Formats: sequence, structure tokens, C-alpha cells
Amino acid sequence: MAKKLEVKNLRISFRTPGGKVQAVRGINFDLETGETLAIVGESGSGKSVTSKAILGILAGNSIVEGGEILYDGMDLLKISENEYYKIRGDKIAMIFQDPLSSLNPIMRIGKQLTEAMLLKGRARQRASRDAFNTLLRRLNQTMVRVSAEGDPEKAKELTKMCEDFDKFEFKHIALEKAFNTARDAANETIAELENILFLIEKNAFENPVRRLREEMNIAVKAIHPYVVSDEDAETLRAEAARVKAAAHTAAKTKEYGEICVSLGRIKGILEAAVAKEEPNFFSQGYYLTFSGQPLPDLPVHELNRVLHEYLDEHFMLHFIDYVEASLRYSAQIHDGAKQMVCAKLNAAIDFFGNMSETDDDRDRARAIRAQLGDAVRTSVDPLEIHSDSIAMTFSSSLKDAITVYFGGTKKNITERKRAAKEQAKFDRYTEKKGRRPDWTPMPPALVDMDLARENIVGLCKRLLAHYGDVLQASPNRDFRKEAIAIIDYLKENASGVVNHLTRRMAKQRALKLMDEVGIPEPRKRYRQYPFEFSGGMRQRIVIAIALAADPGMLICDEPTTALDVTIQSQILELINRLKAERHLSIIFITHDLGVVANMADKIAVMYAGKIVEYGTSNEVFYSPAHPYTWALLSSMPDLDTNERLEAIPGTPPNMIYPPKGDAFADRNRYAMKIDFEQEPPMFRISDTHFAATWLLHPDAPKVTPPTIVTERIARMKERSKQEDAGEENN
Amino acid sequence: MPEKRTTEETFTPETATSKEETAALKGNPAKGEVLLRVEHLSQHFGHLKAVDDVSFDVKRGEVFGLVGESGCGKTTTGRSIIKLYDITGGSIYFKGRRIAAGTLEYRQEIKRLREEADAKIAEINAGADSEKEAKIKQCKAELRERVAQEKAKIKAARSDHRDCEKKYLKDKTQELKAAYEKALTTLPAEQQAKAKEEYDNALKELHRHKLVTQIQMIFQDPIASLDPRMTVQEIISEGLVIQGVKDKSYISEKVYEVLDTVGLVPEHAGRYPHEFSGGQRQRIGVARSVIMQPELIIADEPVSALDVSVQAQVINLLDDLRHKMGLTILFIAHDLSVVKYFSDRIGVMYYGKMVELATSDELFRHPLHPYTRSLLSAIPLPDPEYEKKRKRIIYEPLREHDYSVEKPSMREIIPGHFVWCNTPEEQKYKEELGL
Repeated sequence: MAKKLEVKNLRISFRTPGGKVQAVRGINFDLETGETLAIVGESGSGKSVTSKAILGILAGNSIVEGGEILYDGMDLLKISENEYYKIRGDKIAMIFQDPLSSLNPIMRIGKQLTEAMLLKGRARQRASRDAFNTLLRRLNQTMVRVSAEGDPEKAKELTKMCEDFDKFEFKHIALEKAFNTARDAANETIAELENILFLIEKNAFENPVRRLREEMNIAVKAIHPYVVSDEDAETLRAEAARVKAAAHTAAKTKEYGEICVSLGRIKGILEAAVAKEEPNFFSQGYYLTFSGQPLPDLPVHELNRVLHEYLDEHFMLHFIDYVEASLRYSAQIHDGAKQMVCAKLNAAIDFFGNMSETDDDRDRARAIRAQLGDAVRTSVDPLEIHSDSIAMTFSSSLKDAITVYFGGTKKNITERKRAAKEQAKFDRYTEKKGRRPDWTPMPPALVDMDLARENIVGLCKRLLAHYGDVLQASPNRDFRKEAIAIIDYLKENASGVVNHLTRRMAKQRALKLMDEVGIPEPRKRYRQYPFEFSGGMRQRIVIAIALAADPGMLICDEPTTALDVTIQSQILELINRLKAERHLSIIFITHDLGVVANMADKIAVMYAGKIVEYGTSNEVFYSPAHPYTWALLSSMPDLDTNERLEAIPGTPPNMIYPPKGDAFADRNRYAMKIDFEQEPPMFRISDTHFAATWLLHPDAPKVTPPTIVTERIARMKERSKQEDAGEENN
Repeated sequence: MPEKRTTEETFTPETATSKEETAALKGNPAKGEVLLRVEHLSQHFGHLKAVDDVSFDVKRGEVFGLVGESGCGKTTTGRSIIKLYDITGGSIYFKGRRIAAGTLEYRQEIKRLREEADAKIAEINAGADSEKEAKIKQCKAELRERVAQEKAKIKAARSDHRDCEKKYLKDKTQELKAAYEKALTTLPAEQQAKAKEEYDNALKELHRHKLVTQIQMIFQDPIASLDPRMTVQEIISEGLVIQGVKDKSYISEKVYEVLDTVGLVPEHAGRYPHEFSGGQRQRIGVARSVIMQPELIIADEPVSALDVSVQAQVINLLDDLRHKMGLTILFIAHDLSVVKYFSDRIGVMYYGKMVELATSDELFRHPLHPYTRSLLSAIPLPDPEYEKKRKRIIYEPLREHDYSVEKPSMREIIPGHFVWCNTPEEQKYKEELGL
């Protein structure tokens, strides 16, 4: 599995009147595609701050002191606000804890749901058009350069080919769109009819006139040459009209016999229609655009084959050949450029590794950065579909790192001066005047020069390693496959241009989403305000909004804390289902270990800005190692708990003055002397399980977790054993 | 002076209820006695039936859990009991007295009677009877009588609902008078004056105390339920002040005492709510209700808004108080693990109806109503293997029940285990239990 997100040594503080609060103190974790990571901890442990850092929405008084957040190879701490616009919502979405404060109180739910869709839809349409046009233009240019060097006739032919592609591709999309609308209508009607028939059977059908009329209007939309045949279309229309006419009397007399027959017939027609094979609109688009003849009258299967052959013969095979040749040519050129970059990077690493803080070196570093930036820019293959984010962010990241390094010297001098001055003032007060001021001098916040230099070298090394991998893989590239991929990409963007989201469609999609997240009567709810919803319903709306842009990663910040058990269970199931369907990566933040057993693949337990235990879900629940995890587990009752709960005494420490040793030592029953003096490192228990407690040190005395925890684990093991035995018997 | 002591002893009012009260305060409750009885409680807001025909008893000294999803009416039930709403139908008895009553069922009965009579009259009119007139007349007279009966009941309910405090005071005063009567009339003048003074004091005390203040509430949100501009002392002592206690030192003493009881220190009394953490705020909420020396506490989701580690602190506190002060608690919550841990008996509510009621062990061992099963199947446990296998049962009332033939009612399947069902279902449940 690919790593979706990597957080490395992240440190975040907040400037407050009382001093600098160290909210996150060096945490590391990574998240793979389709995986759920749960971050568990008390309020104030820094879990929400971490999630906000990932989304780039930290409060104004925050200081990111160090570390990296790599998303798809891009460092989120480095990218600009403009680049973040493409990530927030589209790639990473967030569900907040308090559904009321994340909804606009004076805006109807429907508008809030569709707002982002419409905005993003417009932006995406523009982006698709740009991507389509740019790529096709570049492809055309390269084609001409490769296959028609000095041959204007041939060049013209190639350009015509690209234009033809453009033309019939849009025809294809238009055909497909009409078909999809009709088939969606058919599917929707089938589901709704089943529901209505069930309600009629149970004698619980409400608002029959309105609902039947609405359904019949949708059913008629399914009429399309490829979905419902002409003959059936007539029947469908007639039946729909009959139902509409009979609705009034039926509603009064509660006799639904006739209507049920009609509905059953409509359902039968639609079900047969949906089961039919889908025509190939791509080849059909070409045939209709260029052959100048109507479609041959053949069954769908036969038609598909004939048209496909026609397309291949007249256009597609040649086109793919040209695209392949262009790709090969372009890759060759840019591989050369990449090799050059590698050589330059090696030289740069030598220089950066040994430079000092003089002005000369500063000027040289800047010159090298400019050269490197140009070289990297020319080494990026414009025909690549997915832009290489490491290469793209390299130049700006390097600039920042160099600025930090050379600005650091000056900053350190002023900081030291300031700290010395404050210290002197403090001493004057305490020693000479004998007062006890209510403030303490802030220690100097220094830039670590070695770390800053390492950051610069690290950036270069990362690009070097990345290019090394690319060059190594280069001889084995399958250009035919890539050519087909590029055509698919063009198709996708073309559909992005044609399928622009209208207000109506956005409403349809919002209603579907509302239905998907389990809001009953979405049509009525669509026009209501947030205060008209209960807590659970509000949270569903928030989830629906988060899913509206179809993100790849979801950050859930205590999404179920305000909800009751059934709703919580539903929401968790919903998130799990969406995770499986959309292959989402999820960061799930909560204070309740109980809810994550079902969700999490990995669990990170956080306390006072640090991860104290990190492992797979099974490891953390079945063999917890850190006393804080024990305390969390023993403070919640389960269904078999009868003994007194063990609450964690006291409150978390003040993070303006983090304790010297283990932050949990004060509240820890198992604390040893060393816990108050020295911070424990992360001890490795297995390849995936780590915990930061001195109890794991080989010299530490052996302690057993609280009985409430050991007993529960024993019970859980017993139960799973019994179940296994039961299954075997069955 | 031994004589005086003996006379003083005879002055102590000794009525049945006061005996109980003192016993309860000393942590020795007379268990098993019904403290709160809710009968056919209905609370409708317009067309919305927030609570519909809910009945249950809460015995002295027990913790009665009320669970259900949000919007099922459990909070409304709690608030109706404490008379924050005027209930639509049913009665609520606290310590044997009706403190709240609605008129819905009587009004429905009257409507039903009228319809019945109309039908009867129509039948008579249709028939070819010679004594039509007389029969109709008789019918109408019968109706009038029955309606008058129901109307009397409505009047009684309204009067109880409105004047329960007055009646309580009247009865208590009479009891007091009876207790002191002998002393006031027969004793020598000097002692009589002393007795008179005591009697007056006791009477004053009675006038201050209301019946309903013996029920106190703890609210869900510890931030929203505390006034940010009042100090902790003011918040906690507000109830006493409203009762008319003016002695500042007495108030402070009381406040320090309850602060100590709930695990805070007297220094906290001068601070403001925002200076406390969530768990401490909830402790203040508990202290505020405990200072009134209630017999029944309605805890409306007291731990839902708290961190897990703090939840344990508050639950432990409530558990301690319950044993120390002999409290009875109506515990409203949606977290089933907590309810199971804390409650003796549990009532499950679904859309304004109580669908199942049993002791907590019984309910979790043999859940009968499909909604209870679906609720239990939704509990997350800290056990990944189990969680991966856990299947949530989805409750769909239309698919589960067929009430077209017979309407459901609350039935006792085995002693102490009630389920909302009709006859075929009752039989099915009994079979499931092997009866």
C-alpha cells in the first residue's frame, strides 16, 4: 500500500499571553491509502491541533516549529495557500466535533450542501477544459516534432486528427450523459417503487398524491432510445398517466389495488431496461460525427462490435501510434534533463553540506538554488498526466529552507540579546530588590543551525532519490499502455467539461447524499435551517457536506461525541462503508477508546503533545503497554464491569511549562523515580507496536496492568475463543 | 436537667413520613417502597407526541436508567416529572402524592362516550321500535352522567396539578398540629411557650419547603447550565436563598459541606465556573442539586459531554452520593455501557413509547423487544476482534410488528420484565424465554 500521509517530527506551539504553549511535541505517524488511524487522548493532548495542521487551518498565534507533513509526497507545511485550495475539501475533508458551529445558522441546509459543489464544480470545469486543451496542444506539438519534421502536409494531417478527436469526444460525452440521466432515473424509480409498494402493503403510505406524482414524473424521464424501447415507452407513459389520475381517489378510499398493478408493470419495464447492455458511445460518437450516415439497425451487442471496428480502422489505431511515439520521444528528452539535474544536485549537496553562514556562501547558495530551480523545471515531462509533486514543490521549499538558514544567524543574535536582557531584569528584581515578580523570563527561541542545514540537504537528497527511482524505472516503461492512459485521461477531462454541475443537478446530488447519510425525507429537510435539526441529524449534514467533493482523505475530529449510541453506530458504519467504497484514508480523533475498536487499523494514544503508544488496533487493545492506555481502558465501563471504575486522578499538565520527565508521571500509579527526571524514549515492542514508558526498559521492575484491564482482556480472549469454537462446530 | 430532656423527646413530631425522611437522610432508606410512580404519562407538543403513554415506578434507593436515542422523549419525561412542562395526559405520583396530572385520557374517554352514544342513537333511530323516544332519552341521560364523571376527574386532575404544593402544605401542617396539639394544650405554661416557639419554627420550615424541590435535576451540559457571572457559592446556594434562608454563615457552612461531599475544596466557592475543568463543573452541578437534600435526582445525561477519564470520576461520585445520602436516581443517558454499569433497572424508550422495562442484568441477558436488541447491538466495545464480527441489527417497526389486528400494550413477560407487545408477540417472547 502506498503511503498517503506521513507526519514526521511535527512540533507546534501557540503564543499566548502566559507564554508559549507546546501543544504538539514531536510526533511521527504515517497513514496508508484506505487505512484508518485513530488518535486517542484527553482534551488538550494536541490531537485536534495535529489535524488542523494537516489541513493548514491552525490558529493565527500558532508556530510550526519543525517537522514535515507529506501528503502524496508534498510537504503541506510548505505549500502556498493557493495550492491548499486544491487540497482542502477536494483531497482532504474534515468533519468537526460540534455540528452546530460548523454549519451556518442563517443558511438553509440545501444551500450549504450545494454551495461547495457548485463552486468546486465551476472551478473543476475550468480546470478540466484547461487540462484537456493544454494536453492535446502539447501532444499535437510533440507529434508534429516527431513524425512530421519539415513536412507541412503531414503536420496539417496530424493537427486535423487532434481536432477530430476533440470533436467526436464531445459528441460521445453528450450521448453518454443523456443515457446516464435516463438510466439513473430508472434506477431511482425502481428503488422508490419498491418502497412505495412496501408501504402500501403495510398500510402506512403517507402523502400518496404528491409522492406518486413525483415518482411518475421521474419514471417518465427514464424514456430514452437505449433505455426504454419505443413500444415500452408508450406503455410506461400510459401507466404513469393512469397512476397520476387514480392517485386522488385512491388516497381517499385507501384502495390501492389498481395503482399497485400499474406500479408493478412500470417496475417490470424499468427493471428489464436497466438489465440491458450499455452501448459503446465512444465509437458511436465517432461514427455519428464523421460517417455522415445514421446508425445501422443492429442489436446493441452487434452494433458495438461493428462501430468499434469502424473506429479502430479509420482513426484510433493510427492515433494511438502517434501518441505512443510522442511519449517515447518526450520521455527520452526529459530523462536526459533529469540526469543533468541529478549531477547538479550531487554538486549542490556537497556545497550545502559544508557551507557556513558567511555572505559569500549566502550568495552562492542563492545562485545554486536559481540554477537548480530552472533545471528541475525543464526536467519535468509536460506529457505526464500526474504532475510530479516532489519536483514541483522543490524550488520553493529550497528557497524557504535557505532563507531560514541564513536568516537564522541574525535572529539568534537578537533572540539571545533579548533573553539576556529579560534575565537581567528578572535578576535585578529578585536579587537586588528582593521582589518576586509574577513572570519568568522567556528562554531564547533559537534556530537550530545544524537542523536548518540538514533540512536543505534533506530536500536535495529527497529529489535525488526520487529522480534516481524514476530514471531506473525508465527503460521498462510501456508506452503503448501510457498512450491509452493518456487518451483515457483526455476522455475524463472532456466529461468534466460537458458534465458541468447545474443547480438542479447539485440539488439532486445533495438529496442523494442526504439519503445516503440517512436523513429521512430529504426533500423536506433540504429547505430547513440547521436549528431545526437534532444533533445526530446535524452531524449527518456535516458528513454529507464533507463528502460532497468526493475527497480522498477524511479527518474526523470527534464526529460522534455529541451523538447517542444508535446514531453513533450508524455514523461509524457510514464512515466505514464510505471508506471501503471510496478507498478513503481516515484520521479519526476521539477521546473514547471504545468507539475506535471497530474503525481503526492503527491507534496512536496521545498525551501532552506526544504519542505515548502506537500500534495496530489489536495490539493496543489486547496488550496495552503504557500506563496511560491502561488508565483510559480502566476508566470506561463495559457491559461486564461491576467493580468500581478507576478514574484518572488530577488533570493534564500545563503545557507552558511541560514537566521535565514523563508528562504522565504525576497522575501515574506506576511512576518510578526516573519518570520524574528523564523523558522515556519510544520503546519498540514489535514491528508495529511502540510505547514511551520506562516500564519497558529491561531494568524496570515488572508490573501488571490494573486488574480491571487484565480481566477484561482475558474475557475478550475467552469470548473470541468460544466464538471460534462455535464456528468450527457449525 | 433530666426532666426537661424527656419532655423534649416527647415534642419530637413523630409521623410516618418524617420517620422515613430522617431514615433516608441517614442513609438507611426503606427499600422497595415506590418513591416515584409515572402512570400513562403523555406529553404532546401540538401534533408531536414526545412522550406517549409511558408508565413506570422508581423505588426508593434504586437507580432507574432511561435509555433511547436522541429525540425519543427521555429528556422530556425527566422534565415532565420535575414539572417543567404541564403534562398532557397521565399522572405522576411522588411519595404517594399526585404532583402532576394531565387530562388527555379523560378527554379521550368523553369523546369516545359521545361517539358511542351517537352510534347507539343512530341505531335506535334506524330501528322500528315503538319506544324510540324513551330509549334515546335514557341513552342521553346515561351519557350525561358518564361525561359528568369524567369531567369531575378532569377537575380533580387540574386541581392536583395546580395545587399539589398547597395540599401538601395543608396536610403537613395538620400533621404538625396533631403532633404538637397535646404539648401546646396540656403542658405547663413555661414549657408551652417553648413548644410554641418550636412549633412556629417548624411551621416556618414547612412553608419554605416545597414537595417538588425534593426532586432535583443535573443537566447535561456543565458549561451551559452554570451562570458564568455567578460564583460557585452563589450558584450552589441559590436554591437555599430562594427558599428564604438568610443566615450567611449557615449558607457558607452548607456550601462548604456539599463542596466537600462532591470532592471540591472550600477555596473553590469564591471562583467562577470558567475557572474549572469540565469534570469539576459537573461536580458543581451535582453540588447544586445535592444541597437541597433531595430524595430523587433526575440526572439528564450527566456524563455525555465529558471526556472518558472524567466520566469515570463523575459516575463514581454519583455512586458514592447515592450510598451516602440514600438518593434515588433517575438516570437518563444514551451510553448503554454506563447505564448498565450504574442502573438497577432500565427502561428503553422509542419514539415516545416505553418498549421494554426490566432489571439491568435481565435486560442485557434477555432483550426481547426488537428495538432493544438493535440498541444493544449498537454498543461499541473495546475489543477489535468482537467489533469486526459485530452486526448491528436494524430496527424497522413496520417490518417487525403487525399491529393491524391487535394493538400492543405493556405486558409482563416474566416477573419484573415488561415489554410493549400484543398477544402473538407475547407468546413468541415467552417461547424465547423457554416458558
